[in-house]
Amino acid sequence: MPASCIEVMILHEYEAKLLNFLKEKGSADFEELKRLGLNEDSLRWAIEELAKAGAISVEKEVLQDIALTDEGRRYLKEFPEEELLNVLSRKGSMDLREISNEIGLIWAKRNGWVEIKNGKASLTESGKKALNASYALKESLNAASHGARSSDLATLEKRNLVMVKSRSVIKRVSITSHGMKLSPEQEGIGALTRELIKSNAWKGKEFKPYDINASTEAFYPARTHPLHEYIDTIRGIWLGMGFTEVTGPIIESAFWNFDALFSPQDHPTRDMQDTFFLSNPKTIDIEDIETLSRVRSMHSHAWKERWSKELAKQALLRTHTTSVSAHYMRKFANAINASYPVKLFSVGRVFRNESIDYKHLSELYQMDGIIIGGKLSLSNLIDTLKSFYDQLGFHDVKFRPSFFPFVEPGLEVYYYDEHFKDNIELCGAGVIRKEITKAMGLDKSVLAWGGGVERLLMRGLGIERIAEIYENNIGWLRKRAEIIG
Amino acid sequence: MAVVNFSIKMLEVLGVDTQKLEQLVDALGMEIEKAEEGEVYVDITPNRPDLLDIFGFARAMKYLDRKLTPKNGAYALKNDPEIEVIVSESVKKVRPVIAAMVVKGADLSGGRLKYIINFMEKFSETYGRKRMKVAMGLHNLDAVEPPFHYDAKKEGSFAPLGGNAEMTFEQILKEHAKGASYAYTLGKSGLYPQLSDSKGRIMSLIPIINSDLTKVRESTKNLLVDITGTSESAVNNALDMIACSFIDAGFDIYPCVIKRDGAEATTPQLAYNELRIKPIDTERTLGVGISQADIITQLNKLGYDGAVFGRYVLAYVPPYRVDVLNQQDVIEDIAIGYGYNNIVPAPVIGTSIGIADEHAEFYNRLSVLLVGMGFTEAMNGYLTNETVDGDNMLRHYDKHSIVRLAYSKVETFTMLRTSILPCLLNNLAISSNEALPQRLFETGSVFGMDNKKPFENGAVALVSEHSKANFSEMKAYVEALLGVLGVDYKLAEGDDSSFIKGRCAAIIVGGNTIGTFGELSPEVLSNFGIAEPTVGAEISADQLIASLPYAERRKHAPVQ
Repeated sequence: MPASCIEVMILHEYEAKLLNFLKEKGSADFEELKRLGLNEDSLRWAIEELAKAGAISVEKEVLQDIALTDEGRRYLKEFPEEELLNVLSRKGSMDLREISNEIGLIWAKRNGWVEIKNGKASLTESGKKALNASYALKESLNAASHGARSSDLATLEKRNLVMVKSRSVIKRVSITSHGMKLSPEQEGIGALTRELIKSNAWKGKEFKPYDINASTEAFYPARTHPLHEYIDTIRGIWLGMGFTEVTGPIIESAFWNFDALFSPQDHPTRDMQDTFFLSNPKTIDIEDIETLSRVRSMHSHAWKERWSKELAKQALLRTHTTSVSAHYMRKFANAINASYPVKLFSVGRVFRNESIDYKHLSELYQMDGIIIGGKLSLSNLIDTLKSFYDQLGFHDVKFRPSFFPFVEPGLEVYYYDEHFKDNIELCGAGVIRKEITKAMGLDKSVLAWGGGVERLLMRGLGIERIAEIYENNIGWLRKRAEIIG
Repeated sequence: MAVVNFSIKMLEVLGVDTQKLEQLVDALGMEIEKAEEGEVYVDITPNRPDLLDIFGFARAMKYLDRKLTPKNGAYALKNDPEIEVIVSESVKKVRPVIAAMVVKGADLSGGRLKYIINFMEKFSETYGRKRMKVAMGLHNLDAVEPPFHYDAKKEGSFAPLGGNAEMTFEQILKEHAKGASYAYTLGKSGLYPQLSDSKGRIMSLIPIINSDLTKVRESTKNLLVDITGTSESAVNNALDMIACSFIDAGFDIYPCVIKRDGAEATTPQLAYNELRIKPIDTERTLGVGISQADIITQLNKLGYDGAVFGRYVLAYVPPYRVDVLNQQDVIEDIAIGYGYNNIVPAPVIGTSIGIADEHAEFYNRLSVLLVGMGFTEAMNGYLTNETVDGDNMLRHYDKHSIVRLAYSKVETFTMLRTSILPCLLNNLAISSNEALPQRLFETGSVFGMDNKKPFENGAVALVSEHSKANFSEMKAYVEALLGVLGVDYKLAEGDDSSFIKGRCAAIIVGGNTIGTFGELSPEVLSNFGIAEPTVGAEISADQLIASLPYAERRKHAPVQ
């Protein structure tokens, strides 16, 4: 062949390998090409590139992948129409209003298994026969679960039991006359190897350029949970503001969760409908007799009603982390050499007996904080909370009066949310009632606050459904957005 | 606590500047939920039951807006008591306390009756704890003859309000809607508390329903109001509160004499509690300087009359403010009057060192290591059930060894988890559409009972699911983790029934098993609906911390 007919073209190492192979063989199956030693992604890329250049022609084939849906997997055991068949064979006949298995009824009727007369469904002759025979549709579903096709596939797909996905695959490639004329420029270096580096053989040679747009396999880095990240952000801010982190029990007595915090014993939140009480253990002993008697007199004095130690001993899952603050007020009453002001915070789980929906969960994180000191005021409290929320990304928080049994004055921190066009509560706060500090044996003032975590995280992640946070679908954990704000 | 609706027109008739309503309501820390069809819906703060009533609400708005100035003693009784209520011993066992008053010159037209009844209902549901603690009754005084008797008897009957047919009390509790709703307030005493007149006509089955005999209509002129309950102070507070509302509605209040055990008491009291407020305490609480005159201004805005008394300010607490216990509560109202957003922030004086919790820091360290090893972090709920936590894992434990809930609205929550692994296996099961391998870890608490006492332990667990997952993969991970942490451990054959026998190892430190790992049994995988081989490990974080070779860094315990 005259040299003038040869077109020299700079090809990638993979393309060159493929082209040279095809120049010899003329054409080859994809399976055969795999033996070239390229991985499948690289091979596919090289084929696409050479085809684009008109050097080879590609023969493709459309394959269908069959996969069972969740519903399909359930049906493997029993189809609803089979279930109905069995129920009807036991009961003889049934009033239509009794039948909640509507899907079963539709298909059993379509199969001619049941007949409906005067609002009652009963088995037909063919239905009775079907009882002991195997169900063709189930056989087909079973086959589909192994990837096999059957004449019922369309029906199964219509019933949303299987998903059929089409994909086109490369079957065979052949070199074109244009390809035969191409001569890969062989001079450049392909993959860099240990030998090349050691021998210095690369010196004075060119490296073949790679296609930087060639597709690669998706990679998912392992990640921490967004809630953990957010809690750590909150912890970091409090630690930076000189607050020490404390923790307390999740399984708590009503005494520390309610009574010590001035919540009257007949308060509605102390109802089974709102709080998780325990059946094992039923009660938790209150070992601090001194505090017990002071809390008793605090209640009888304020509410002028009988205070029951038995109710205070009830075991429950804490409804707020303010119980942790109560424990620490008590601990500091006995503290030796404490240097005031003492600043403490905690982040922990709290539990509410709620029906779960997109807005509510039964367990959530709460952060709580207290400052114990001689002279502490609302202006200190407002400064502390403004500073905290500013660092958390809420730069324009406001304050308004609010009621909590354990603080006086009580207030609420909120911000105006541009997205929801509404004021959103961030936390409740206030000065702990003197009755409480006295009952804890503390002769200091205490500033306190407590607020939720998940709602702020939802805003940061841009999600609407709170349950998403705790579902732990690995796809979501891998692909979720970074926390913003 | 309760959303109540008021007619905007009626608020205007009562002198409220409804243009400013949103701002005024906000200043008291409450919210307008919505306004539609001429009604405004306000979420009333739980400590202010006096605002559940339109007259009480209007009064608070006018004080705050400086349209009305409070005066000590403004809410007063008209006359000496004329009417007696004689209380029998028998009520002690079921509903011991009663207070009553007479209301004259009533004009109940123009929707006033509806508002009064709505208020009484809301009040009895909230402050009255669903009528258990306090309930109110309203009677047409002209239909009956004093003196009245408050008794508890084993039987009784009348035609209940709104009905013609006579019913026995037993029937009312079973068949009447109100009877069925409030029967529980009578407990198991077998007694029916009842109010009757001097002719022996029963006026009310307390606290359930009145007799049709004393039915109040818009045309009714004179009323008898009874308040009953279990707490003397709550009942008297409630009567004071409603008396003030009637006074605001333009009615005259005449007290009653309650006779019991040979003693006499007059109700209502309508007493103004006089509290001494120290300006220095106010300054300390607010953190801003405030003069005596300014304190009185703020007090007036919140409905208190005030006066300078030497170094103090006297605050006269109006009778309807049942939530005000002492100086702190008044200072809060001064702060509300002043406006929280007008308080200038001031930093807390004094430095302190923030020290992190040991567990939280250790969990962070584990996260760094495990994410580095390719595990993604999960965070699951602690609430679970015996099927997931026990049966699915082939773990069979004693019912007394787990922390169980008495009642949950969510049926699948019956207990606190004893292990993290079942949570992670659930996560793998719902992630079956995602690319393999799937590797997850979680740090957190597990719970149980030891010697009849509950415990909460820290734990860390990891799982790896893919077609080639096997024992040696998990062993490599566990050994890498323990190796980096510097834990001195041995392995022994494990006996955790969740794992394949012979492919489960126990991690031993100082003679104690601190964790297990291995290949999860195919039965466990099927129970969770996991299709591919899966290996897992769970280690006690508390015992890991105790096994660390380096000295604990945290020297500064927050309290000794």
